[in-house]
Amino acid sequence: MTDDRYPTSTTIWIWLMLLLGLGLACAWLPFGRTTAVFAIFTVAVVKAALVLRHYMHLRSEGLLVYAIAAIPVLLVIGMTLSLVPDIVFNR
Amino acid sequence: MSHVAAAAHGHHPEPGFWRKYVFSVDHKVIGTQYMFLGLVMALLGGASVYVIRWQLAWPESQIPLTGWIPEPAMYEGHLDPAFYNQLVTMHGTIMVFFVAMPILLGGLGNFLLPLMIGADDMALPRLNMMSFWTIFTAAMVLVASFFVPGGPASAGWTGYPPLSADAQYTGVEWGLNLWILALALEFGSFLMGGVNFLTTAINMRAPGLSFFRLPLMVWMQLTAAVLFMLSVGPLIAGAVMLLLDRTLGTSFFLPARGGDPLLWQHLFWFFGHPEVYVVLLPGVGAVLEVLPAFARKPIFGYRAIVYSTIVAGVLSFIVWAHHMFIAGIDPRLATPFSITTILISVPFAVLLFAMIATLWGGSITFATPMLFAIGFLVTFLVGGVTGIFNGSAALDIFIHDTYFVVGHFHYTLFPTVFFGGFAGIYYWYPKIFGRMLHEGLGKLHFWLTFVTFNLVFLPMFRLGMGGHMRRIYNPLNYEFLRPLEPVNQFVTVAAIALLVSQVPFALNFLGALVWGRRAPANPWNATTLEWATASPPPHGNFATVPTVHHGPYEYSRPDTAADFVPQHVPLPAPPAAEAVGAAGI
Amino acid sequence: MAVATAAGRDEARIPSGKLAMWWFLASEIMTFGGLLAAFVLCRLAAGGWEEQAAHVSTRIAAFNTALLVTSSLTMVRAHEAVDAVDRRRVTLNLLATVLLGAAFLGVKAYEYSGELAHGFTPWAGPFWSFYYGLTGLHALHVFGGVVANAALCAASARNRLWPHLHHRVEYVGLYWHFVDVVWIFLFPLVYLS
Repeated sequence: MTDDRYPTSTTIWIWLMLLLGLGLACAWLPFGRTTAVFAIFTVAVVKAALVLRHYMHLRSEGLLVYAIAAIPVLLVIGMTLSLVPDIVFNR
Repeated sequence: MSHVAAAAHGHHPEPGFWRKYVFSVDHKVIGTQYMFLGLVMALLGGASVYVIRWQLAWPESQIPLTGWIPEPAMYEGHLDPAFYNQLVTMHGTIMVFFVAMPILLGGLGNFLLPLMIGADDMALPRLNMMSFWTIFTAAMVLVASFFVPGGPASAGWTGYPPLSADAQYTGVEWGLNLWILALALEFGSFLMGGVNFLTTAINMRAPGLSFFRLPLMVWMQLTAAVLFMLSVGPLIAGAVMLLLDRTLGTSFFLPARGGDPLLWQHLFWFFGHPEVYVVLLPGVGAVLEVLPAFARKPIFGYRAIVYSTIVAGVLSFIVWAHHMFIAGIDPRLATPFSITTILISVPFAVLLFAMIATLWGGSITFATPMLFAIGFLVTFLVGGVTGIFNGSAALDIFIHDTYFVVGHFHYTLFPTVFFGGFAGIYYWYPKIFGRMLHEGLGKLHFWLTFVTFNLVFLPMFRLGMGGHMRRIYNPLNYEFLRPLEPVNQFVTVAAIALLVSQVPFALNFLGALVWGRRAPANPWNATTLEWATASPPPHGNFATVPTVHHGPYEYSRPDTAADFVPQHVPLPAPPAAEAVGAAGI
Repeated sequence: MAVATAAGRDEARIPSGKLAMWWFLASEIMTFGGLLAAFVLCRLAAGGWEEQAAHVSTRIAAFNTALLVTSSLTMVRAHEAVDAVDRRRVTLNLLATVLLGAAFLGVKAYEYSGELAHGFTPWAGPFWSFYYGLTGLHALHVFGGVVANAALCAASARNRLWPHLHHRVEYVGLYWHFVDVVWIFLFPLVYLS
């Protein structure tokens, strides 16, 4: 898999470690609660995207595999959102 | 096992008995194993019906033929209330997970899918074998739960906490833990199967077999597989949480420990609703294969059926809270779920209209498979319509947890699983076992089943409207239910008749294995690929890979002498320039 | 019959094993997604569980994250080595993945023992129920991956199954990266919030 147009696996690893550091920083720096959670979660999404795209080769797979990966994620998000009125607010 | 095919397949040494019949990787053997498992478990599921119905009809009496059931379940023929709950729970669990799914998905699905797409086996044969032995283990675990102290699970097939989350509430400890374990194994088995079905259908279709030339049974099996794969995850999570609550004292669902019981209901039904379509679609698929073959007409609206099925599948993920209208959910959730629930009747209506249109003007042979297919149509209609009653949140406040619901879901599940399933079994039995079933016994089975089924479940709507609750062991404890007791008694007599009506089927099924007339390759003159090989198919299924030339329902074409054109046989060349329009799909 | 075998029909499509693994991962996304969703919702409902959550060690978990991410790197390297037909590199990278995964589990065990000793048991409260449920389920999956990778490593070391190894390293790799992705979400949701 020596694709010269894509970063190497080591490059990705360096980015992942940097993002880990960034996530930790967001937790320890004096941000507001909501900002911190939002920032940490965004970092997580970026890290996951890197692993999915480069380590799991989603960059070179077709639509079917993308769909198989994406649809469950959308379902989970949809399920979570629809449960908010009941679980979060109805205690 | 044809020697020609075996030789062509390569240098296999002939496998020993265990590899060939028990731990086989051949999808046909595995499919048959699934089917036998489902049919045997149906005996257990049906037996529980007998005790339940007798108890409801004559609550203070001694139930005949139960002397062998030990205390504390039964005291000299009198039913213990806790045991009643256990029977109701096990009836639901067994029927949904260990009868319907194994027979329709594991049995017919496994057997037919590779054949219908012209493949020699599934994409992952060893995974297929593992999936069967996993569900076999699951069934053993479930049966074992009857024999542990405390008996089997008793919190309903839906297992709601807090009742299910702490052993002190039900008095059942190991039974419920084993129930969770059995379900987890069953989910694992069908996940393996689902992965296999989807991979096989995507990768192993014969040349020329595009997706819109697939038989509708294949579409149904695939949709069911996708629905299952995408819906079961949250319940697996929930099952882990429930097991931890029961064994480790965690606080997921028990309010006393800070948990939320409503969370379980959401997780369960997020799976539970797509699950009923998983159970339902293969039965519909069987009917859709039988109708064209016995009406000698192409399916009406092939594409409409495919698109409706996909729409129904997608919608099935956003209707689940209709099972929870009175559970204490936010009322603002009830409205959108009511709307989506009523919406989902639209694709099913399209399906039913397409079936009727297929029959219209056809030259119909009322053979047993066709009788069951028509029986499905008539009864599923009632199920679908009563679904709309239930789906309206305002009305559901009154009829939830009554026999109205029981009537509704039996009018959907029974037609699809049993009428559809029997249609499929009577249709494909010659292909699977190489023998013809006895037609007279088949017709007798149909009429007895059809009549008694309606006598059992139609009165339940009356019971439900009268306020008769579900899952109560003695209706006489409630003053307002006493006038309804004659209805209960009528239903019980009909239910016993329904159970007895299955005897002709059992005799036929088993007897034909030995004494049935040998079946030709294509006894029904049908068009799909499974009929293009011997009955039963040899190892490797097809001597040469078939090439598919057209869609699956080319019946009664004006330009052919025969009234059907199998999929692997080319259509006659069109007389003039317009080729595509005439292709009847 | 030669044409109709499982491997031979793939043509230009996705190989069956890879497709099967992706379908399996789809169902795993739903499982972990369901559990994580339940956690997020209950946590929001209960007001954050700050007091209980303060007792988990972010340092240990961060270290574990680094271990797991690095093991993903070695897994990818193993796959690249298979492509380059370098058996020694394959074996070494798979071994590194196994060791890093085992180290993750070891650190987790150390972490659990510390928490249990302080009385933070699964039945100590809802936060802890989810904590053990989530990390426990994840750890089970890590264990499964370690076993699979160990089997592949042994096969590579003994020069067995070479033609199959290419695909199997890729498919087990997909599973391993998925387990890593789950942790990437688990870590902030449990330890950093």
